[in-house]
Amino acid sequence: MLQVKNVSKVYEGKVAYRALSNVDLGIEKGEFAAIMGPSGSGKTTLLNMVATIDEPTTGEVLIEDYNPHTLNRNELAKFRRRELGFVFQEFNLLHTLTVEENMVLPLTLDGKRVKEMKEKAEEIAEKLSISGIMSKRIHEISGGQAQRAAIARAMIHQPKLLLADEPTGNLDSKSSKDVMGMLETLNKKEDTTMMLVTHDPQAASYADRVIFIRDGRFYSEIHRGKSRQTFFQSIIDTLSLMGGDDSDFSSVRP
Amino acid sequence: MTFRQFALNNVIRNKRLYAAYFLSSLFTVMVFFTFAIFAFHPAFFNGGIRAEVLYGMAVAGGIIYVFSFFFVLYSMSSFLQSRKKEFGLLMMQGMSTRQIRLMVFMENMLIGLFATLIGVLLGLVFAKAILLLAENALVIDETLNFYFPLWAILVTFVSFIGLFLFISLFVSFILRTRKLVDLIKADKQSKGEPKASVILAILAVALLVAGYATALYVKGQMVVMAMLPVIIVVTIGTYLLFTQVSVYLIRRLKGSKGIFWRKTNMVLFSDLSFRMKDNARTFFMVAIISTVAFSAIGSLYGFQSYLTGGLKEANPFSFMYASSEDNKENDMEEDVRAIEEKMDEYDIEGESGQVDLTYFNRNDGEVLITSESDYNRFADMLGERKVNLDNDEAIVIGDSNRVLAPQSEKDRLMDSPVELADGTTIQPDRLLESSHVLPEMYSYYIVSDTAYERLPEPDTVETSTAWMADKGQEDALIQAGEAIFNEIGGYNLVAVDYSLYQINKVYGPILFIGLFIGIVFFVSAGSFLYFRLYSDLDQDKDKFKSIAKMGLTDNELKKVINRQTALLFFTPIVVALVHGAVALTALSHLFDYNLVNEAALVLGTFAVIQIVYFAIVRYFYTKQIKRSVYY
Repeated sequence: MLQVKNVSKVYEGKVAYRALSNVDLGIEKGEFAAIMGPSGSGKTTLLNMVATIDEPTTGEVLIEDYNPHTLNRNELAKFRRRELGFVFQEFNLLHTLTVEENMVLPLTLDGKRVKEMKEKAEEIAEKLSISGIMSKRIHEISGGQAQRAAIARAMIHQPKLLLADEPTGNLDSKSSKDVMGMLETLNKKEDTTMMLVTHDPQAASYADRVIFIRDGRFYSEIHRGKSRQTFFQSIIDTLSLMGGDDSDFSSVRP
Repeated sequence: MTFRQFALNNVIRNKRLYAAYFLSSLFTVMVFFTFAIFAFHPAFFNGGIRAEVLYGMAVAGGIIYVFSFFFVLYSMSSFLQSRKKEFGLLMMQGMSTRQIRLMVFMENMLIGLFATLIGVLLGLVFAKAILLLAENALVIDETLNFYFPLWAILVTFVSFIGLFLFISLFVSFILRTRKLVDLIKADKQSKGEPKASVILAILAVALLVAGYATALYVKGQMVVMAMLPVIIVVTIGTYLLFTQVSVYLIRRLKGSKGIFWRKTNMVLFSDLSFRMKDNARTFFMVAIISTVAFSAIGSLYGFQSYLTGGLKEANPFSFMYASSEDNKENDMEEDVRAIEEKMDEYDIEGESGQVDLTYFNRNDGEVLITSESDYNRFADMLGERKVNLDNDEAIVIGDSNRVLAPQSEKDRLMDSPVELADGTTIQPDRLLESSHVLPEMYSYYIVSDTAYERLPEPDTVETSTAWMADKGQEDALIQAGEAIFNEIGGYNLVAVDYSLYQINKVYGPILFIGLFIGIVFFVSAGSFLYFRLYSDLDQDKDKFKSIAKMGLTDNELKKVINRQTALLFFTPIVVALVHGAVALTALSHLFDYNLVNEAALVLGTFAVIQIVYFAIVRYFYTKQIKRSVYY
């Protein structure tokens, strides 16, 4: 489904900075993959590359055997809003719109019919149990609800690939569990391929597989077995083995 | 780093943030200074111009100064509004309120000082251009040479350093310290969607309709009486239009999913309803200021064309000399000879003709009856249409439009026949529009030459001599006109080019000052809009960034920005244009003079300027948004 082939990213500047070097990664259809690593390890750079927000310096990214980076800017915009879904740490919801309006925004841009949009919005709101807050405005709802609304927006057009960048970064542990549970359910029931970037071992433990990167290189990966608890434990172990844990203090996050 | 250094660096290293405020201050200084260069010109001070005009210029200077004050104050406070978060941050670091005031004061003085200096320098660069412009607009005998405007520099410097000092003191005291948390969260807080009341929206429409209807309905002197109430009603109506009707309409639009959920509309309208709260006040101010500018320039220009146009229309000949009853034959011959001598002296080529105008007493006053050949001779000189009559035919020439007669009386002569000496009558059968061929304002008859012979003895005879100069000798005509005027006096003479010159000479300065102030108002209205737009820039950047991540094509982005900016730029101006058109129509009713061309020219020019301004601002705004979205 997703193939990242030998991708490197160098940020030019006074001092050129190599954010990623020769990363290979493949995600199967319907798989839920998490990327972990300490701050500055290049996880977000990798995600941005897959999200077509950023371009790799060398190597290529294939989504269903197709390289979206060959598209021009306008085609890319359409590609993103039709084929990809995004969930961000800071929600990125428009505070001037209601929850429902935020959800249908990608569809309105594509000029879908109102009835169709309405049906889809209701259907997905039902699944994420946010039907009750559809007409509320963003500042009236809690962080967990906002993130669920953002997930609803990312899912409404049934994207091939859902990309989540620290979706639990702004949430308390209870909301984090809710949101991650939601993503897991969507992954299992809707068979949506998901790529998650996170610091949080708790959140990563909902994935099928966790890929660790450090200093822009692939470090290791572990697969989830039967129990999430043991999976969580092995994530913690790998993190401490890697020499940095998730509570690292870091000056910048690229 | 001392505190002073901190305040200084804060400005210098943050140039972009301060640029808008700096530029608008610079602009006001420049306007005032160029006006001062003009007003303090030695040509005026050494007695080249009349006291009334000097007084007028002093008043105009005062208006510009007071306006500058409010303009700078407005710019300053909107600038401080956008920095709430910064103040919050500084206070969190332990800066005292007093220190913040001191900082704002120092920043403001720094900006004010540089704005004044650079404004004066730029003003000097443009000085020659403005003097040339003034020279052409004002009909003055001396040329306005470039000079070193020491007085203008001094006055501008003192006035504006004083202004900035006062505003800095003023602003640093009104900078109320709210709760710290409010300052820090200033940009995050939701202002809340404005609400509109249906009753007030209906009231707004009713007020505007009533105001417009009254303004368009009243005629003549009634216009003056109706003016003040109409202005008040329309001003209130305009305020409610922006605060209530606009909000109401946007809410209705948002309510309709068919429209709101269509393509980019959602992105466009969602912000609009929130920004309306801030926009409404700006829109109102811009609309009113622009209306004042449009109406002032339109009325001055219209009034000038009323004066000169009417004169030109009523006196198509270059010179016209009319004898009157009490000046004897030889006086007239002498004067006519004097006119022709002067025309020779100034090398004026042209034709001349003489006609005896014969007036006959009728029951309601005297009426002119003239012959076909006399009329045609004069018509020929002007290149007007000639008339062709049968022996027993008569034509009526209608009243000139300077005659304020009711429409029903325009054809009064058609009903009364021309009586010949032998008692036969000729019933007029045609009515022609007045063409000013003969120097007679009121309606008169033309009869055939044979019929003219058979008229009774006239009651009054006036001899008129007309000269029609060939085209392209206006300057010579003005000089000759002046010379003739000085020699024989203006009692029997109409020298139209000289009269126009004199009107323009008196009127030029008034028009120029009016134009100047009008343009100042209009340009500052434009910068209010610019401020409004740029205060939302960061918000827009964030918005478009997050939408662009989801996928927004270049065209969609452009479309949204385009519409958003167009709404901001054209809503108040369109309202002002409509207001201005109504005001000028009312003015034309007052004088009963058609101002359509003048109004169209003035309003059209402003509309074009606004479109150009819009295009420029949109280009830069789009560029900035795009840069933040894509790079």
